Amino acid sequence: MRGASRFRRLGARLQASLPYAVVFAAAAFFYFVAGRFQYAAKPEELGPDVWPKTILALAMAVCTLQIAWQLLRPAGDGRGASPKAESGEDAAPRVPYLLAAGIVLTLAYVAALEVLGFFLATAAYLALFMIIGRFRRPLAVAATSVLGSLAFVFVFMKIVYVSLPLGVGAFQAVSIWILALLGVR
Amino acid sequence: MLDVLHQLGLGFLHLAQPANAAALVVGLVVGMLVAVLPGLTLVMGVVLALPFTYGMEITPSIVLLTAMYLSGTYGGAFTAILFRIPGEPLDVPLLWDGYAMARKGQAALALGWTLFAALWGGLITAVTAVGLALPFAKFALRFDTPEYFAVVIFGLTGVAALGSGSLANALISLCIGLLLATVGVDPLYGAERFAFGVPILKDGIEYLTVMVGAYGLGEVLARLERAFASPPLERSGEIQTRIPRLRDAWPMRATFARSSLIGVLCGIVPGAGATVASFIAYGTEAQYGKARARLGSGIPEGIVAPQIASTATVGGHMVPLLALGLPGSGATAVILGAFLLHGVQPGPQIFQTSADMVYTIFASMFASVLGMCLLGYFAIRPLVKVLYLPEAATSAFVALFCFVGAFSARNSLTDLWMIAVFGIVGYLFERWRFPIAPMVLGCILGPTAETSFMTTMIANHNDWTVFFTRPISGSVMALAIVTLAYSLIRTLREQRRMLAISGR
Repeated sequence: MRGASRFRRLGARLQASLPYAVVFAAAAFFYFVAGRFQYAAKPEELGPDVWPKTILALAMAVCTLQIAWQLLRPAGDGRGASPKAESGEDAAPRVPYLLAAGIVLTLAYVAALEVLGFFLATAAYLALFMIIGRFRRPLAVAATSVLGSLAFVFVFMKIVYVSLPLGVGAFQAVSIWILALLGVR
Repeated sequence: MLDVLHQLGLGFLHLAQPANAAALVVGLVVGMLVAVLPGLTLVMGVVLALPFTYGMEITPSIVLLTAMYLSGTYGGAFTAILFRIPGEPLDVPLLWDGYAMARKGQAALALGWTLFAALWGGLITAVTAVGLALPFAKFALRFDTPEYFAVVIFGLTGVAALGSGSLANALISLCIGLLLATVGVDPLYGAERFAFGVPILKDGIEYLTVMVGAYGLGEVLARLERAFASPPLERSGEIQTRIPRLRDAWPMRATFARSSLIGVLCGIVPGAGATVASFIAYGTEAQYGKARARLGSGIPEGIVAPQIASTATVGGHMVPLLALGLPGSGATAVILGAFLLHGVQPGPQIFQTSADMVYTIFASMFASVLGMCLLGYFAIRPLVKVLYLPEAATSAFVALFCFVGAFSARNSLTDLWMIAVFGIVGYLFERWRFPIAPMVLGCILGPTAETSFMTTMIANHNDWTVFFTRPISGSVMALAIVTLAYSLIRTLREQRRMLAISGR
């Protein structure tokens, strides 16, 4: 029983030190890369690697201290409540698949913009994001995403003069039709 | 003094121009809305508004963002008092007495005290900004590169050390920001750093994508992971404002003075900010206030102190921003970003080269204070209606604003990938409780820090002691060390206290 609890505690400590280990490893890698910058050295002058190396050394030192603290700290240490925690926001349970879906959707949106064009990609993104976010009123979702995308196209292309992506092939034809509909030339 | 008043008068005249006045009104309304919506933070709101200022002149741009910043420190009070939902972390202390007063059926009076406090804190902050900025700037004219380096280091360590949360995490966040600023071609040697042959990295990482991605998209992803769960709306009392009488405020004059001072000081010190000021002011009342025994039961002192302090920080933040080009908070970092996007570097010279703009900004602060109070008094009912919007929908649009905003800067699709990447980084920061502000400030101020460091080293034959032996830079470096030491001692004390509690 005591052994299981010790393993659990060790697991928690390793988990707490994981972000610092990741940052340390990344910093060590970048430190190595910084040592291989190509430049024409000037005598008795610091090179372009000094500043990044100083920052990376500081990051590695802080990470080392934090890893040591997480692994060796006395049991029961914790942190005070943050303002956010006091407001009750942190109390809601995490739903990792929603986050994963949100990230995949966001990456897919960026990838699709060039192909589908701004209007189609954005309307789809808004609708799917709302559905993933558990807003389950289909009519409202459809209306909000289509009207919202049209509003964005109108404001940015007609008023702010930003050239938003039109897409390719048939999707481009749809985008051009939408622009004509909104009076954007 | 007369010259300052003359310039301020001209500033008011400039503010009356349609573009500036419109920017002020839009900034006030949007700032209020952002502060009321729980899923949107004040800094996020200012970040999202930034891209819309590209096509504007610089003065209305800064007026808009400053008005948003000021009204954002006030708007969240409504939801804290009426619904027990703090719009911003800085509104948390308002839950304790504001909501308690509302529960006693005095919501209108609680809102009245908030308005009164915001008005007082706002006027104090505007006067502070006008009164201190020029002396600061005149002093800063003596600065050379070692002093600039010292000031930037003080600003960065202040933000890392005085924010809420872990000092180590803040330092790591700062290092990441400083490192991001080194990506691309080095200005002294023309060497390629951390580009790995990727063309977009050769151009460097735009701080705008870091800011918008980490603050905006990161927060949206963090909220999505919790399925946009918000506490149920629990309306308490009537939605209107009853202004308290002056004779009720007079016995609280010590509270007004203490909280104003706390707010102004927390504003000037980089990193302390409105949330810290709000908590310190409430804590000070709890320790030294005449009514400390009744604090938490719904008394005006518990509302007035945090509200005055948080609003009073704005002017304090604007002073180093305008006089030294040093932002002390996330919101002022965005305002600095707006200056830089328009090709203007704030600093001591700005008072000579662009005095019109500076004093128009100051005038806009006075007008913003009055405007936000009028808006709070008359438009409270429609404002709190935004609370009933589904957060999934508002967040979807926030994410979209992030993308479109970043795209409009350079019309580059690769910037959108950067936004997505920094959105995920922002989420990871949120997840592991790493503060975002030090990273953003590191990214913005990194080039200044590096250039002043390298130039000083070249000019002084690599003698780094010069940063400590010159009177001004030495004093500022000492302040930076004291700030870090203070934070370290605070962390150790907190850890000892937590250990003592868990040992009982």
